[in-house]
Amino acid sequence: MESITQPGIEAYEAPASIADAVQVLARGDVTVLAGGTDLTVQVDAGRITYGKTLMNIRRIAELQGVSEAGGRISIGALTTVTNILDDDALAQSVPVLRATADRFASMQIRNAATIGGNLVNASPAGDMIVPLLLLDADVELASWRDGAVSTRSVALKDFFTGPGKTVRADNELLTRVTFAKPAAGFAARFEKSGPRPALEISTVSAGVAGTLENGVLSNVRVVLGAVAPTPLRAAKAEAALEGKTLDGDTIAAGAAAACDDCTPIDDVRASAWYRHHLVRVFMERLLTDVAEN
Amino acid sequence: MSLKTEVSFTLNGRAVQVTVPVDMNVLTMLRDELNMTGTKYACGEGECGACTVDVDGETINSCLMYAVDCEGRAITTIEGLRTADGLDPMQKAFVDHGAIQCGFCMPGMIMQAKHLVAKNPNMTDDDLRRGLEGNVCRCTGYYKVFDAVKDVVRGTAEAAE
Amino acid sequence: MTTVIEKDSIIGKRIPKPDAPDKAVGRTRYINDMELPLMLIGKILHTDRVHATIKSIDVSAARALPGVHAVLTADDVPESLKFGIARDNIPLKGGKVRCTRDEIAAVAAETEDIADQALKLIKVEYEDLPGLFDVHEALEDDAPQIHDDRPGNKGLAYSHHSGDLAAAEAESDIILENTFKVHYVTHCCMGTSAVLADFDADGKLTIYSQTQYPYNFKMDLAPALNIHPGDIRVIQPPVGGAFGSKLDVYPFEPICVLLARATQRPVKLVFSREEEFINAPTRQPVEIHLRSGVKKDGTMTFRHVNSLLNNGAYTSWGATTPYVMMRTFSSHFRLQAISYDAQAVYTNNPYAGSFRGYGNVQATYCTSIHADMMAEAVGMDPISFGIKNAQDEGEVTPQGAVLNDCVFAELLKIAGEKTDFVNKMKTYAAERDKPGRIKRGIGIASSIHNAGGAKIHKSDGCGTILKLDDYARATIITGASEIGQGIDAVLCQIISEELGIPVKDVTVVNNDSAIGPWDVGVHASRTTFIAGNSAQRAARRAKEQILNYAASRANVGAGELDLRGGHVVQSKDGVSVAKLDKVLREMHFKEDSELVMTTDYYEPPSEPEGENHVGDMSAAYSHAVHVVEAEIDTETGVITVEKITSVQDVGRIVNEMGLEAQIEGGIIMGLGYALSEELQIEDGYVRNPNFRDYKVMTAPEIPEMELHFVESQSSTGPLGAKGIAELPTIVIAPAVANALYNATGIRIFNPPLTPEKVARAIWERDQGHAQAAE
Repeated sequence: MESITQPGIEAYEAPASIADAVQVLARGDVTVLAGGTDLTVQVDAGRITYGKTLMNIRRIAELQGVSEAGGRISIGALTTVTNILDDDALAQSVPVLRATADRFASMQIRNAATIGGNLVNASPAGDMIVPLLLLDADVELASWRDGAVSTRSVALKDFFTGPGKTVRADNELLTRVTFAKPAAGFAARFEKSGPRPALEISTVSAGVAGTLENGVLSNVRVVLGAVAPTPLRAAKAEAALEGKTLDGDTIAAGAAAACDDCTPIDDVRASAWYRHHLVRVFMERLLTDVAEN
Repeated sequence: MSLKTEVSFTLNGRAVQVTVPVDMNVLTMLRDELNMTGTKYACGEGECGACTVDVDGETINSCLMYAVDCEGRAITTIEGLRTADGLDPMQKAFVDHGAIQCGFCMPGMIMQAKHLVAKNPNMTDDDLRRGLEGNVCRCTGYYKVFDAVKDVVRGTAEAAE
Repeated sequence: MTTVIEKDSIIGKRIPKPDAPDKAVGRTRYINDMELPLMLIGKILHTDRVHATIKSIDVSAARALPGVHAVLTADDVPESLKFGIARDNIPLKGGKVRCTRDEIAAVAAETEDIADQALKLIKVEYEDLPGLFDVHEALEDDAPQIHDDRPGNKGLAYSHHSGDLAAAEAESDIILENTFKVHYVTHCCMGTSAVLADFDADGKLTIYSQTQYPYNFKMDLAPALNIHPGDIRVIQPPVGGAFGSKLDVYPFEPICVLLARATQRPVKLVFSREEEFINAPTRQPVEIHLRSGVKKDGTMTFRHVNSLLNNGAYTSWGATTPYVMMRTFSSHFRLQAISYDAQAVYTNNPYAGSFRGYGNVQATYCTSIHADMMAEAVGMDPISFGIKNAQDEGEVTPQGAVLNDCVFAELLKIAGEKTDFVNKMKTYAAERDKPGRIKRGIGIASSIHNAGGAKIHKSDGCGTILKLDDYARATIITGASEIGQGIDAVLCQIISEELGIPVKDVTVVNNDSAIGPWDVGVHASRTTFIAGNSAQRAARRAKEQILNYAASRANVGAGELDLRGGHVVQSKDGVSVAKLDKVLREMHFKEDSELVMTTDYYEPPSEPEGENHVGDMSAAYSHAVHVVEAEIDTETGVITVEKITSVQDVGRIVNEMGLEAQIEGGIIMGLGYALSEELQIEDGYVRNPNFRDYKVMTAPEIPEMELHFVESQSSTGPLGAKGIAELPTIVIAPAVANALYNATGIRIFNPPLTPEKVARAIWERDQGHAQAAE
């Protein structure tokens, strides 16, 4: 029962540093605002109620941008999808990120939506999650502990616990996502359902990655979106493909295993049948593409 | 009542200061607080583009951006394109090519079209269509819009020669 | 010095809409943008049930909220004041709710936030009743009754029968029989529904309305308010799209007026997008059982149609769409016999209004798919089949439509030639069963529509007042409404053409019922035809008046003079006799002067339908043929329409740019209907009330379009023009469905042709093949 007398927002904060931000979070009952593209919609739909404090983190320069150090690439939480799309160096080393960003919503949303927001929002259909899971990324969570900023790292594959739910504690701020720069020979592909090029909540999204040497696929990662409560690493499909010669039989087996990995539902966008069907179709296409290129 | 706060920014080249509820979006601020009704509400969810404005050189859906986040930024709305000399070339092209029927989506469409040309004057037909993916028009078949934008691109290219 | 002005014409030119510059700079104020001093915001509490008895409603807390000026429920509105096509609707529902739209309370408050809060404070207790959502269930003997005074849940019914059906059946070599289920879609006007009501101190109402029919709107609104229609003034600010959605009174309008009356303040009520999806009218969904007969030589024999319309809880124009459907079923292809029956059935679903194409979108989906099937069944290509059966110039349809200026067969021929239809169709069909996930297909569809109004009221007329001022500027005050379609530009052109003045010197005034003369409304592809005729006649009167004066002044015959380029000239050589503004000043500034101000009332030469729905109800008819070329991904089921070739009889091109805009826009609206748009209604609730899940066409999805305008030169239309705006929407979906068939052998009788539906049909077929092979 919605209460008419809800207290509403009592404080607005726009910190300029991570340290300041996590101290605000430490007070408790804080709603974090980044690009706003999900928050507005979630609030309007009644899925989110504002906490006592609204904290706008867009002023935190430390959360911006893409960097590389020690063989790892780091993407700041406030990096927008447009930033990723336009980053030639990033596209050079990790083409799948640009390919996915190109299929993300509309330009206006890409201009505002942030990587951090896409991860924390934890939609089963969150498009940018798929390539980051393919890259075996970690997220960094910061909090205020014993008078200092403390951080912990969580594997992205362990980050999501359900639709809109993650292991992030209320006092933690997602600061960046990092992953090892892919080695030469690493191939990664993304596909999502249409018919529109991008402005679609994915009915199904899928990603495949691995290293193909002499026709054999190794280090295989398969990711499926919108077919389970969270975007998932498809373990059965990965097992069916790992170390195998990527021929027609392997592709069919991998695609069939991916169907076993997912537990899609019927909803307004599609039936479970169609989601299963698309998983198979996309897996076959992605794997064929990897095999042929 | 929501908490209010003061926000200062540049709107169509002029400094403005306005006190807004902290959970108000930019669209509502423009329309209700500043009486700038050129920017339209049509979905409130970033799915139609009618509320598109330019913020620091990037277009966004003003229904999704929080007014408090305007602090220190430069916002351009449809009202800001018109100059003392008359219509902006993009506005004129939309008129001349018959791209405007009911006109409700057009402020957003024109803002986005301006941004596309500024960002990539050499855009392909596909870039143009993809760039307008977030702007729904229910009257036209979009071709008149494409023609208008291409006309401006040609004009820009000729002017640069 | 002699000024010579050659004869010139502005007809057929590309003329920008006069209201476009203001729209381009964001100056245009829609109702959504308006504010009056002391204005309050109105909000409606819609029920969250689909069929229930209201046990109690408590508005005391809402009334007590500071900033709230009025809270109204059914108790505040006499229930006898029913409105709507079948007088079955009331503004605020008490006693019982019948669909998710039902309005049970309304609030006027100082801000939107306060109004929203007040709605949340209203407490309602219900006792749910069994819901009826399916037309067949609603017709069962023991079905619950939705309205006590509508026994059997039966709404409006229509039928037309002509010819000897039994004989036609006996002569048929092949009879096809299918059930089509056409779906719910909605208009998605970019500007959501809005109204602003304001009473003056004398109790007269000014209503700022988006209505498409300002004059009858008064008549329809009045009973809901217990007010005299003459005491209502309708102002029509620019509207953010209409497409037929604003041709009736919907409850939010009288509710807003009731709030204004209760508060004695102006009240504005604007829907959110979600409210718009749930509460604005839809296109009429229909289940159509169609039997069609054909002889071996390809001669069509009969159509036998039984249709059930899901009326929803109340009756708006959707329930009257059989009126147009039966015209399509009974015509365009020649028949020996036609049997048409339609029954609207009350359910607890939302209800439908009129929507561009008005029944014909639904009917043509059936007729054009059956035509494709019949052609294949008799071994003909669809072009030859169409031409063989196409009605001809001068032919009279079974319902009495006289097809003057009919070029239907020519349109089919052009469509075939321009697209190389027959060769492509054969090639693609031959590729159908070969390996490969991408298949290509080509499909054709055609239909007829009224193009000279539709006499569904006593009058289908339009009035014009034309005023010329002392600077030779013209103001045309017309009854015709502008909803973005471009009648403003067309009327300026017609006046400009007749009076020889620049198009920019003409101003259109058409937004105030206190000023404008009667018009039946902007609908039925009628405005260019009807308002154009009236404008032309008014202009010719003014011209005659001016030339008579100028002739007497120059001592020549009026027949020797003409108006060109802002001058009175000699018709034979264009030599100027005088500047027009000078002549006008002379006419005005003297004793016993005659103002150059003319009026006209144009009533088209059409007749209302009589018994058995027979009557020549439009002053002109037109046809269109569309060819769709598409690529089908047989795995994902995605249909990518690559090209649409449109061939349409437009009578005569008046404003080429506006014509293209209307046809392109109409095609894309039809394409959304074909491919992606569907208002999903489950157990009475709208499941997808947003643009995320109700998918209209976006820029990247737009196919190449090739438009061919055939000018049949209507003998009755202004300058030969016909109405054009609905046919483009009507003939797309079946052309897509036929292209899908050409590519894959799959027929889909229940649009839209979504990826899932297509993929599933192909998968099931392939499973069937696989099983058969085992």
